[in-house]
Amino acid sequence: MTITETATPAEIRPPAEVRYAGELAALDAWDTERGHERPPGWRLSPRAVRAFIIGSEELGVRRKFYGDDPLVDRAVVSLMGRQGLMLVGEPGTAKSMLSELLSAAVSGTSTLTVQGTAGTTEDHVRYSWNYALLVSEGPSERSLVPSPVCTGMREGRVVRFEEITRCAPEIQDTLVSILSEKQLMVPELGPDARVAARPGFTVIATANLKDRGVHEMSAALKRRFSFETVAPVRDRAFEIELVQHQLEAELGPDSGRPAVPLDVLEVLVTVFQDLRTGSTREGAPVKRPETVMSTAEAVNVAVAASLEARYLGGGTVTAAEVARQISGVALKGEEEDARRLRHYVDNVVRERARNDKRWKAFFTAAEPLWR
Amino acid sequence: MAVSGGVAVSVGTGRRTDAVWELAPERLRAAADAVGRLRDERGIHFAPVRHHSPACAVAVRAAIEELRPAAVLIEGPEEFSRLIPDLLHEETRPPIAVLSLGGSGSSAGSGAKARDAEDEPEGAGFYPLASFSPEWVALRAGHAVGAELAFVDRPFGERSAAERALSGSAAPGPEGSGESGIENGAASGTARPDPFARTLMSERYLAHSEAIAALARRIGCRDHDEVWDQLFEARASAELADWRTVFDDVFAWSALARLDYEEGVLAGEGSLDREARMAARIAETVDRLSADRLTDGGAGPVLVVTGAFHTLALVEALSGAPEGAPVRDRQPEGGFGPTAQGEAWLVRYDHERLDGLRGYGAGMPSPGYCERLHAAHLRELRLAPESVSHPASQSASAQAGPIGARALATEILVDVARGAAGRGHGVSLPQVSAAAESAVRLAELRERSFPCRTDLLDAVRSCYVQDDGGVGGPGEPERPLGLAIAEVFGGRSLGDVPPGSASPPLVRDVRDRVRAVRLVIDDSVPRTTRLDARRTASHRAKRQVLALLDFVGAGFGQLVSGPDHVAGRGLGLITEEWQYCWTPLVEARLVELVHLGATLEAVAVARLYEAEGRLAGTGAGAAAGAGAGASSVDALARLVAQTLVIGMGWHLPRIVSLLRTTLDTDRDLSSVVSGARRLLGLWHARVELGAEEHARELLDLVSQALATAAYLVSDLGRTRAEDEDAAIGTLIDLRSLLRDAAAAGDGDQGGTGGEIRTAVVRELARLRDDGDTAPAVAGALLALGFTDGEVPDDVLVTRVRGALTAGADPGTAVRFLGGVMRAAPDLILHTPEMFDAVDDALRALQGDAFLAVLPDLRRAFTWLRPTETHRLAKRVAERTGARVDQVDVRVALSEEDLAAGLALDHELAAVLERDGLAHWVGSPGADTTRGEA
Repeated sequence: MTITETATPAEIRPPAEVRYAGELAALDAWDTERGHERPPGWRLSPRAVRAFIIGSEELGVRRKFYGDDPLVDRAVVSLMGRQGLMLVGEPGTAKSMLSELLSAAVSGTSTLTVQGTAGTTEDHVRYSWNYALLVSEGPSERSLVPSPVCTGMREGRVVRFEEITRCAPEIQDTLVSILSEKQLMVPELGPDARVAARPGFTVIATANLKDRGVHEMSAALKRRFSFETVAPVRDRAFEIELVQHQLEAELGPDSGRPAVPLDVLEVLVTVFQDLRTGSTREGAPVKRPETVMSTAEAVNVAVAASLEARYLGGGTVTAAEVARQISGVALKGEEEDARRLRHYVDNVVRERARNDKRWKAFFTAAEPLWR
Repeated sequence: MAVSGGVAVSVGTGRRTDAVWELAPERLRAAADAVGRLRDERGIHFAPVRHHSPACAVAVRAAIEELRPAAVLIEGPEEFSRLIPDLLHEETRPPIAVLSLGGSGSSAGSGAKARDAEDEPEGAGFYPLASFSPEWVALRAGHAVGAELAFVDRPFGERSAAERALSGSAAPGPEGSGESGIENGAASGTARPDPFARTLMSERYLAHSEAIAALARRIGCRDHDEVWDQLFEARASAELADWRTVFDDVFAWSALARLDYEEGVLAGEGSLDREARMAARIAETVDRLSADRLTDGGAGPVLVVTGAFHTLALVEALSGAPEGAPVRDRQPEGGFGPTAQGEAWLVRYDHERLDGLRGYGAGMPSPGYCERLHAAHLRELRLAPESVSHPASQSASAQAGPIGARALATEILVDVARGAAGRGHGVSLPQVSAAAESAVRLAELRERSFPCRTDLLDAVRSCYVQDDGGVGGPGEPERPLGLAIAEVFGGRSLGDVPPGSASPPLVRDVRDRVRAVRLVIDDSVPRTTRLDARRTASHRAKRQVLALLDFVGAGFGQLVSGPDHVAGRGLGLITEEWQYCWTPLVEARLVELVHLGATLEAVAVARLYEAEGRLAGTGAGAAAGAGAGASSVDALARLVAQTLVIGMGWHLPRIVSLLRTTLDTDRDLSSVVSGARRLLGLWHARVELGAEEHARELLDLVSQALATAAYLVSDLGRTRAEDEDAAIGTLIDLRSLLRDAAAAGDGDQGGTGGEIRTAVVRELARLRDDGDTAPAVAGALLALGFTDGEVPDDVLVTRVRGALTAGADPGTAVRFLGGVMRAAPDLILHTPEMFDAVDDALRALQGDAFLAVLPDLRRAFTWLRPTETHRLAKRVAERTGARVDQVDVRVALSEEDLAAGLALDHELAAVLERDGLAHWVGSPGADTTRGEA
């Protein structure tokens, strides 16, 4: 079975339920055929949700999340419980992707999303008003503008709360009563007016607890969530595969663009893994940059390298393009990071360049860049 | 058997063993047919197991109770058969292990193994048995139905010799190591230097099988352990009782792994040799039994319980299949002859070493959990536990507890929550119930009939962790939750072996002695005991046993704090604190000592003679004038201490006479002095050491040592500059010795060796007044003499002035000053005249000369305590007219501080400039930096 990707070209990045509509339909059919039980409010059975994320050869469903299958199991099970699901981890560890995939599979929509920022207010979490209508008609169902949380409760769907720790703790705590009582009072519409959550409603929050400048989370809120730590991808082969698939998703199938050969991807992923872990596979120490060397960044580098090869270069992506792009894409202008990379190039890459053509290309391109 | 039908039973909905059979090639199907033939034609039933698998243990039990076999043959070195009565003894309680020490593992008629006969095998190997080990269950259940029991594997001695030959030649094995753990038994490549973890039952084959890795990926499991859980441990109790299906599936599963290995590899690491032996013994037993059957009829079948990895080979060898040739070819013409004899003992084992998760190659992870799981299965099946013949000491959990694995899951989660709460990680009741719910849902999602090990661990991770720190554990910082998990899943049980002949006499003797003084050795939890040996006789006995075991190197306990008479530390302390823990390592070390004696006492005596012999040797060297045994008085005094501490005073006369002769020959004052001090310390501790009868002798020795010291003191005068430090140290020691000796003794005599002490003092005075005495020694003697009131004020000042006078050599002067300062640092503070003398002398020094002696000078003043330095500095400041508070600035800046300060400075300047306040920074640099720092 083939994956039918029904992305409309007008949208840069359609939501997961649109991108993987074919797979979701196939899983739905599989559930019906096998008679899998679907929890109340769920579009798919837990088994199908799991298969959607970690893939299934028989069903022609591609693997979308790598490296930690038990984590996926735990996440799926957490969504069935009373608590919300909190995905924590360093930036770029595919927390948001996981939350998007989970909500798309469980609820059929991944767009009920609150983006947490310092400016997020209670209105964004609860509801706000259409002020023109409010002034003319007074508070009414019509003048109420529901938040994604409110909509999710009404429709019994999964709500995503991205970067929850970027919000002030008071705003975060708005969720406490929603998650424990599963209802939202709307006193403006009368003493008994409330939005009651239907089965299927839950919250997937993502947070970056280590990042600087984030707010503390209250113990009350913590109790309402199951915590799952998403670790960076450690497996090299997996990461290469992941980058390859992401490339395809970003740039379309191999035919219409400069190919990124496997050995070039290997160089790219190796560089990222070396810098991320602070040591090479041979065990030589490497200075770790401040910038998070996530897989997502590796994909960005690969995309940029591919574009460079297509529009500026010779049509094939080599390690040289990768080297040039790493500096721009991965290094967020940190003076110190440039020095760390220079150290890496001077020591590790120079050594590898001695007897490996790919590394030689990387080295030749990288050396003048970070002088 | 369902095997011959091709695709075996599929219990779940697509994630069970049918996946295994889909991968099965032709060879496997043929073997499955052979299994059926062997069963029907010759009455051989195979129970392929995974070592330490609760699921297999339940199935083995069910098989034996249904089949009622005439014989149960078990994988395990055949010389262990001798121990079967002890294994069946009612007081034997798992976890235990059979310990082999290599040794003579040869049997008659062993033509095939001439190659490994030349080397004497060495090293210890463990054959662990837990309550949930299929082998253990086979023994107990087999005995219950009256079956003949035997171990049928190749003797340990041959095995270990072959393996050593292999590791020497670096032949390729499965990942460089075989099932039996060639190197230290560490499963990972990072060898764990624990020779006691070397186990005869490891599962490396499975861990490294490519086929199983592929299967793991396919059914979404993280490793081979989880594949195993998924396929077998996740079965409900009733499914496990369906032993035919279980064994068919285990057979298929491990045969697949077997096919990953080439014959050369299997031959190289000894599997084929072992299988040859097992196959031969099985055939012998079957033939003998069928002969019996002809005469009296009615004998039951034979059940073969082996690691599943070997089953395929055994089936092929016994059925005559062409693939069985490599194994059959290794069987000697006339058979292997009578059962090999070899030394092996039963020792207690513990869960920690059974735990595959902790790097030991012994099979199952989480033995504590496995034990409870097995018990829960048995309760659900209404079967009595195999080892319940020891009701008194049987742990309550085996008798009463959750019925069935589902009920167990909740109990485990509650226990983890409790353990975590006890360590400061609170887990609320809602969290526990959420975890229980989550575990059940995970099990459903993963198609398991009850929450298994990984489901429980995942539930804990989901519901008990409230931040991004994880549970902690290997590779991560330790956290309360991780410790609680380790405790509940790892278990802490320690087995018990019968008092019979199965354990070496030394081990028994030690256990009796340790128990007699009431130290707890029923589990392997480290314990602490505080002893007051001076006042309590029972504490004295305890300390003596602990010290004895420490002396022979059993690794049982160690002194954490308190007086250590041997090392001469902490002698002023009254109570001593020991930490001890009875682990299998202790037993293993004791087993290694068996050649020294059958009792702890005997071993200690042997050790004592050893030490004595060594010291006597060096003593002779000293007598020959070579100076090789310079420390022998001290070393012998140490040995005296050791002897008294371990309560073997009756060996003292020998050592004492050796010490006396050594006192005549030792030319090293420092050794004599420290030896004498040690002896005096022992005299002081005579009560708690129980050495009152030796008190007189000890004091005599001190007197003799003082006499020797008096004779040797004059040597100090000729000390070279570089040895002056040590010499002064000896002098100070000697002075305290004299003081202590004066206070010691029976009272009416006014101390020990009265006249001899006077002699020493006289010698010291002579040395002090001798102009040729090394300057530092002279300085020290002077200072000590002054402190003791032997040197009057004016003499001291005159001597100091004289030594430091303007014309004197600055180097010598500073050495002298150093001696004074070392011996009595506060002199310079309390004696104004001396302060003036030193001050004058230092002022008179020329620049170059001052610089030359500066390092020594500095060192001389370091003997002052910080407050004294402070007072001295104050006085110097007053004298020189400097401001006291300026002298008293302590600047401790490192290069980093400086760099940080500078960076801060620049930053501050930049900020001020940006804000248009540049004029605030008058002159950026030094001032600001100092302010910041």
